[in-house]
Amino acid sequence: MFSSIEEVIERLAAQNYICSRRIATVVYLATALEKPILIEGPAGVGKTELAKVISGALSLDLIRLQCYEGLDEAKALYEWEYAKQLLYTQILKDKIGEILDESTTLNDAVDRIARQDNVFFSDRFLLPRPLLQSITSPQRTVLLIDEIDKSDSEFEAFLLEVLSDFTVSVPEIGTLRAKHVPIVVLTSNNAREMSDALKRRCLHLYIDYPSPEQELEIVRLKVPGIRESLSAQVVAAVHKIRGIDLKKAPSISETLDWARTLTILSAAELSEELVNDTLSVILKYEGDIRKAQEELVDFLRTSKSTEPAAAAAADPDAKKDLLH
Amino acid sequence: MDQRIVEFTALLRANGLRVSMSEHLDVFHAVRRLGLADRSQLKDTLRATMVKRAVDLSTFDELFDLYFSELGHVVQQATDTLMKSLEVGAADLQNLMEQLQDLLGEREADLSKLAEALLRNDAGRLEQMLREALQKADAQSIERVYQEGRYSHQVAEALGVGALGEELDRLRALLDEMDLSAELRDLLERFFEQRMKDLREMIRRAVRAELEKRDHTQRERDRMANLAEKSFYYLSEDEMRRMKEAVARLAQRLKNVVAVRRKRAKRGKFDVKATLRKNLQYGGVPFRIHFDHRVRERPQVVVLCDVSDSVRNVSRFMLQFVFSLQDLYSRVRSFIFVSDIGEVTQLFEENDTQEAISQALTGNVINVYAHSDFGLAFRQFHRDHLAAVNNRTTVIILGDARNNYNLAHEWVLRDVQQRAKQVIWLNPESRLTWGFGDSEMDRYAPFCDTVEECRNLNQLYRVVDKMIS
Repeated sequence: MFSSIEEVIERLAAQNYICSRRIATVVYLATALEKPILIEGPAGVGKTELAKVISGALSLDLIRLQCYEGLDEAKALYEWEYAKQLLYTQILKDKIGEILDESTTLNDAVDRIARQDNVFFSDRFLLPRPLLQSITSPQRTVLLIDEIDKSDSEFEAFLLEVLSDFTVSVPEIGTLRAKHVPIVVLTSNNAREMSDALKRRCLHLYIDYPSPEQELEIVRLKVPGIRESLSAQVVAAVHKIRGIDLKKAPSISETLDWARTLTILSAAELSEELVNDTLSVILKYEGDIRKAQEELVDFLRTSKSTEPAAAAAADPDAKKDLLH
Repeated sequence: MDQRIVEFTALLRANGLRVSMSEHLDVFHAVRRLGLADRSQLKDTLRATMVKRAVDLSTFDELFDLYFSELGHVVQQATDTLMKSLEVGAADLQNLMEQLQDLLGEREADLSKLAEALLRNDAGRLEQMLREALQKADAQSIERVYQEGRYSHQVAEALGVGALGEELDRLRALLDEMDLSAELRDLLERFFEQRMKDLREMIRRAVRAELEKRDHTQRERDRMANLAEKSFYYLSEDEMRRMKEAVARLAQRLKNVVAVRRKRAKRGKFDVKATLRKNLQYGGVPFRIHFDHRVRERPQVVVLCDVSDSVRNVSRFMLQFVFSLQDLYSRVRSFIFVSDIGEVTQLFEENDTQEAISQALTGNVINVYAHSDFGLAFRQFHRDHLAAVNNRTTVIILGDARNNYNLAHEWVLRDVQQRAKQVIWLNPESRLTWGFGDSEMDRYAPFCDTVEECRNLNQLYRVVDKMIS
């Protein structure tokens, strides 16, 4: 486990995840208080990624449950393997016959069979799904419940039981208690508002788009081959684009895609032509692309005029110019 | 400190954030782990444990600053004004205060706690004393601006400002006895005076902060509630903007409600045939149960929107509302009319809602500056678009039915009603005025299944809710 907030930052950084102090505080509290984290925020800011790096940093297994409409207990918690049960009964027909051989009355036969009940309803025929897996796992796990907003409210209500006590009751077997309370991370894109009951049980973390400085750091980390000046330009342009009213704003992963694309094209700096050719990497709607092109024309012109001067001046200053 | 967290929680609740008991306990667990020393860390901690809705974040931020930083801020500013009025720097001020300390020490004058904190400019101490005084004076219950004076007075009393005045007089007398240079004596005199002023200012501002804490979200909330009841006719520019957001939010809420309702409706009866067929593979043993699914059709909607000057605002929000709900319907077709009728469905498909609305309302599709003629518009609809209406269609007509004494052609509506599932007429005028002057409402009403007054957001919401269920 983490022993301090600084350690969280450090160990997540070792997993190539740059997090703000706010995020680190929540992660630390979640592990210390054994509370689930509910992460909200726009798409592509690294919500799911956070769960992955937590599991990486603590070297715990990650169990992922992807939510969708119609997800029910059978797919999230456990299921009986009917087919296997049936197969076993078929194969063991003789044996069953033997047991029943001595019985003379129907009542007696039923009693005899009833005594064998627990053979058919035991762990052997139980097919554990993600929630049960994380609870019964011999080690502590990180349980990622992804896009919880896509699930139905019935499922959400069912989750409450699991999240508050970390126990699961299987009627035929009894109550299964978690040996180790898993670290639970829920992510939501806010397609619908989660119930208060669920929120009450979680720590809440809202991840927004990162500041230009942080995003620059992320780009440098994830796209190692990129030139200093280009990465600054890319980040500045993306921030500019996010300021426009768009159908879908570019996310961090799209910034990275763009940076990678530009590196592959071995671009030295952004030019109008290059932007027009590659803008479809970060924007997914025709209308958005048009809007962004108009907006970026001015931006590119101003950044170009500062470019020669910046090249002459010290490098960090050049970055500042572009960022603000 | 526990006390302060309890108070802060109460403050959040008073401002409309929902903080439950268990969350409250979480705060204490969390704070015990992380301590309180670091203010920004405290903020993150409280935010993670208590604020669960993204919309509440800004409220929380403001209240946190008001509650945890405001007093410190007030004290800090008092120091700044002190330095400015004495025209000295920070180091000089420190010097002066030490000198005074020495002088008073010589004479063994005892000072009250307040005087000491004030004359030494002990910020932490001052902050705490102010806080205690605020509590003693019950300043949290301040509600109106005009109560500021009264509460300031009570806080001053609780702090013991009256006694402080006397005490300072005594000190002055003491200093007079000493052999001080005129310059220093003068400076000290000004120092005393300014500190007295500072203290009053601090009290005033602390009380003001209490007031701000109280009502800053309350106001916002009231405005929103008023907005929902306010007639579309009288919206100001700013209210139009906020109305847009409100409509979007309402639409989202309605979507959630309907989604749940549909979900429930989907579960059907036990289906014997399907169950048997499905379980043949298990030798006829019914291992897998099958329920039939009731198919629920999505309504089709045809909207006819009057966009003449008189009802333009309503049309705007109606169009926005209907189109933000688009995925609840299988098909929405919209027409706008003044005297001619034109289809704007495509416009909405290609542009985002606001853009489409403004295009539709600026005369690209039809002449919006003509005089209203419902009869002509209906006849054109009958001629060109009647095929859009079938037995699954809900036809919504939005207009004030003010026909400028043209022919009403209500027979069109009769035809439409016969084909459609239902016809709904929304009239943004008050029911009292229907049928008077050139209003043809009475002629049209018999051929509508529902006729509703729709003057504000709440009415609009109710109507659409009824329509979907």
